[in-house]
Amino acid sequence: MALLELRNGTKEYRGVPAVKDVTFALHQGEVHALLGENGAGKSTLTKMLAGVVEPTSGEIWLDGERVTLPTPAEALKRGIAMVYQETSLVPSLTVAQNLYLTDRKWFHRLRGIYIAGQQFLQSLNFHVDPTALVSSLGAGQKQMVEIARAVHHNARIIIFDEPTATLTPEEKHQFFALVDRLRQRGVSIVFISHALEEALQISDRITVMRDGQHVVTDLTSAFDREKIVRAMVGRSLTDELYGRHEDRAVRRPAAKTLSVQNLSMGNVVRNTSFSIFAGQITGVFGLIGSGRTETAKVVAGVLKRDFFHGGQVRLDGRAVRYRVPRPAVRDGIIYVTEDRKIEGFFETMSIAENIYLGALAGGQAKSATVSMGEMRRLAQEWIGALNIKAINADARVIELSGGNQQKVVVAKALVQKPRLVIFDEPTRGVDVGAIAEIHQLINRLADEGIAVMVISSYLPEVLTLSDRILVCRQGRIVEEFDGRAADEETIMYAAVH
Amino acid sequence: MSIFGRLTQEQIVLGLAVLLCIGFSIALPGFLTANNLLNLLRSVSILGILGVAMALVVIGRGIDLSLIAAMAISVAWTLQLIGTGMPVAQAAVIGVVFCLAVGMINGFLIAYVEIPAIFATLAMGTAVYGFGRYFLFNLDVLYFPDHARYLLWLGQGAVLGVPVPIYLFAGVCLLAFLFLRQTRAGRYLRAVGDNLAAARISGVPARPIIVLQYMMSSLIGFVAGIVTAASVASMNTRIANSTFVYDVILVVVLGGIGLSGGRGGIRNVIVGTLLIGVLLNGMTIMDIQYTLQNVIKSVILLTAIVIDTILNPRDEQTAQQGDI
Repeated sequence: MALLELRNGTKEYRGVPAVKDVTFALHQGEVHALLGENGAGKSTLTKMLAGVVEPTSGEIWLDGERVTLPTPAEALKRGIAMVYQETSLVPSLTVAQNLYLTDRKWFHRLRGIYIAGQQFLQSLNFHVDPTALVSSLGAGQKQMVEIARAVHHNARIIIFDEPTATLTPEEKHQFFALVDRLRQRGVSIVFISHALEEALQISDRITVMRDGQHVVTDLTSAFDREKIVRAMVGRSLTDELYGRHEDRAVRRPAAKTLSVQNLSMGNVVRNTSFSIFAGQITGVFGLIGSGRTETAKVVAGVLKRDFFHGGQVRLDGRAVRYRVPRPAVRDGIIYVTEDRKIEGFFETMSIAENIYLGALAGGQAKSATVSMGEMRRLAQEWIGALNIKAINADARVIELSGGNQQKVVVAKALVQKPRLVIFDEPTRGVDVGAIAEIHQLINRLADEGIAVMVISSYLPEVLTLSDRILVCRQGRIVEEFDGRAADEETIMYAAVH
Repeated sequence: MSIFGRLTQEQIVLGLAVLLCIGFSIALPGFLTANNLLNLLRSVSILGILGVAMALVVIGRGIDLSLIAAMAISVAWTLQLIGTGMPVAQAAVIGVVFCLAVGMINGFLIAYVEIPAIFATLAMGTAVYGFGRYFLFNLDVLYFPDHARYLLWLGQGAVLGVPVPIYLFAGVCLLAFLFLRQTRAGRYLRAVGDNLAAARISGVPARPIIVLQYMMSSLIGFVAGIVTAASVASMNTRIANSTFVYDVILVVVLGGIGLSGGRGGIRNVIVGTLLIGVLLNGMTIMDIQYTLQNVIKSVILLTAIVIDTILNPRDEQTAQQGDI
């Protein structure tokens, strides 16, 4: 007997179906993982269940009766809460204030809610100080507060949209323990994720979606990684994607492109030294907060280091010091950001304009005026080379899927003819098909003799791609491994201790 | 989805302008005459030129509140220098250099010192006005010197029956359009306005571009100032303290250039100017009070923004996650 059920649900945006005729059932007290590539319709499906969007057609049944959920507040009243990827807490208020924010009361006595909050959080076994400001909490603790708020509203059903995307491994463990506790309290959970291991680890049942349609629902024990990926993409990709890394040849390093000595910036990058070689992929693994992104940004001139004590960066043996990214770009050091929406692409511009802007800024186009013909030519060339899927080159980047957006950002960087490319989380928020293509591209770059640095917090990615692996911890490169000899455990061990 | 689904603010405003035109033509005798229409265009071309100046800054995600002050003081100074017997060309060069200096200081404060544009230019506008009134001249109003009266042609003359300010407005529009579309700096300007962080990482010289945009706006402001002075044979420096600068912002925003930067172009300025022009002209023929005119202008602005929000709703959730 299903607790919450969507029957033949369809949701169309401007006539384009995001979810087509999907039937989805959540049982009492289960953890139900919802998997699929970006754009498979997972978010839309859960938003219908949480009252965020209304189905174009189809019925929602709760406790065996048909209901309509016009608003999230209505859904919450019936015990359905959704926890978003982006937190919906008010950062300038304390934890307790956030917990009791939407209670129907005109005044809250601060002391009262702190005591109540303390007791309530303890009863959930969450170690969060109710008087702390939300802005001072880490991602994991914020999530605890969100969940506590949902439980406080007597939610019987909690929907998590990619809950672990921003968490460190430690926080993930806490989160899994928490999901377990919720399950014991009889709460039913829907859990959207990109990380298949997590789904296999904590869920009772798994539903896979593809292109807005339901593919398969079954007990978790009936799945393995290979089977899920096949269901997600409709083809077998696992080997292509994360094949056994011992099987492949490791590239020999050519000339030393970049050499960094005693690089420091504040207390984020601490006196770190390493080298990057041409014709080779150097993987950098580090947990969030280990200073890996900041190190790369200092090298590329995006962040500025101390003039006297900042250490030394040599490009092909020549000492360089960049205060802004422009001279670094001109010298061929290109940083491909981990956060494409904030600092990756230009959302008001088309694909062609984005790529052409890269060419202009990289100094490949020399004249002071622009050439539409050149812009068209570059766009066609790169759309073909990277297999960017769009209606045409004039499509706006903001309208593309995550994978294609990432490809545009990569094209914008590669059009600048780099000698050293730093990819920061190249496949974050990218669907499985595009991950394979981006990995192939990175390999091709190294084969062409370009120095490639790949920063990632996903171990299988680091292991498949890298010829050489550097591990970053507390602002410093602490260990180096041969790409073939390393395994997940030794790398993780180096990263956390 | 109705057929209105894809209308942009630009098209809505253009539609409103056409509707107003038709309404006035029917209701107001004397509106739909060649003479009145040319008069209409002439009277708004100064506003239009200033709109282009403001648009360049707004597209670069800035705002220039010192535009009118710089215009008034630089042109007034130029007139005073001509009055003291300095050659016209030399006086004009001094005025232009003054404008460029103001723009450069604005740009420096915003790009390098990283002061928010609204505060930097607000303070700069007051400083420029105070500087002019204290150091340069004692009078509020500076008149065109008699021996330079041939310059009045710029504001009052006509070529082939069309007033000169209209040509100047068209010329400024064309140059700004070509700048935005055809030059490397124009592309950079749009990129900086769209996403400063991404532009910086891509290797765009972001700070020099910000300085450039304020220098350009000041320079175009000087052109508008000369036309203003030539139209009425004087420059009233008090205009720097009036709400004129908000009219200019009204034209830009009404035309559909978002204050969030990167969006819109010169076409939007023209459309915004047309609507305001038709409106002001009609209201003047109807003899509506100036204060009431202000109320009507602001209601029109709010209406345009509301209609735009209804027809092009912004879905934050989709915008942030991009995942359906």
